[in-house]
Amino acid sequence: MPRLLAILAVVALATTAQAHQLNVFAFVEDETVVVETRFSNGNHPVSGTVRILNEKQETVLTLSLETDGTVRFPLDRDAAASGLTIEVKTGEGHDDYWILTPEDIARGSGD
Amino acid sequence: MKSIFSTTIAIAALSGTTALAHYGMIIPSDPMISQEDGRSVQLSVSFSHPFELDGMVLEQPVSFNVTHDGETTDLLGALNSSNIMGQPGFTLEYPLERPGTYVFSMEPKPYWEPAEDSFIVHHTKTYVSASDDDDGWDTELGLRTEIVPLSKPFGLWAGNVFQGVVMLEGEPVPNAEVEVEYYNEDGNASVPSDLMITQTVKADANGVFTYATPTDGWWGFAALNTAPETMQHEGVEKAVELGAVIWVHFERWKD
Repeated sequence: MPRLLAILAVVALATTAQAHQLNVFAFVEDETVVVETRFSNGNHPVSGTVRILNEKQETVLTLSLETDGTVRFPLDRDAAASGLTIEVKTGEGHDDYWILTPEDIARGSGD
Repeated sequence: MKSIFSTTIAIAALSGTTALAHYGMIIPSDPMISQEDGRSVQLSVSFSHPFELDGMVLEQPVSFNVTHDGETTDLLGALNSSNIMGQPGFTLEYPLERPGTYVFSMEPKPYWEPAEDSFIVHHTKTYVSASDDDDGWDTELGLRTEIVPLSKPFGLWAGNVFQGVVMLEGEPVPNAEVEVEYYNEDGNASVPSDLMITQTVKADANGVFTYATPTDGWWGFAALNTAPETMQHEGVEKAVELGAVIWVHFERWKD
């Protein structure tokens, strides 16, 4: 019986985790791109892989999330000329992206 | 001919009575703005009988605010005069700079309604999510009277129930009456009886009410109570109706 309860608990936890959608948001501040992530229950992921893609969908940078669910990197204006796509994967079924448009970059840079 | 005659009579009768429900209205261009939709929302702010598309004058409100992530910003000066349903109202384009739920709220000036021999003050609000983030969807603004949503007030299917708590002066209102009306935006909806233009549900002992919508679109929920104070009209003290209005959009199911 204890083993069955343990299995049910694991299944319940896994199901709960799946239900929490990952949300990614990014903005530019002082020539730095700030990436923020959060699950739909309000918690931050503690690890994950962040890929930065250019307009041709070529990977220009790969980073790891900090334990507070954020990551920062310097804005490369050449690579970001037509915007950037920021993909975050934190686990099976948990991925999301944010498209940083040229307008977003200009607004954040005060251009 | 009979139906035209009946409709004419009905409109005439309605115009001469208080059967029509008044609604403060804040209608966003979209209740869920994803990152692909853009970075701003357009609001249409008015006062009307929303099913009949019968506009009324909305004067410059006492207040118009947005609340996001616990911070409230005064937007009164950002309202642009407009004409909505043939009457003065306002529009506003507001930038959604961060993800989460933005709650737009308005306190109008007291409206003198001679047919009801009272003033009407409808505290009106609506909720908009930005960038697919629903954080803050159950925000209570602390208005004098408001409907606090128990159902997430966006991302609902037509046919879903909507539940909320009627609050007045910070306390739930047992057995509160809540009027429900459809914003007949394209004018295509019709009713078999005038009784169905505005439907009414009552809250339970905890101020909780429930309503299931029959179709997609914008639905207004108005909880009406009488203020303890009175206001003067032509030197005579008159009652003040306090309305807590929330506008909620229901989405069409697509197979």
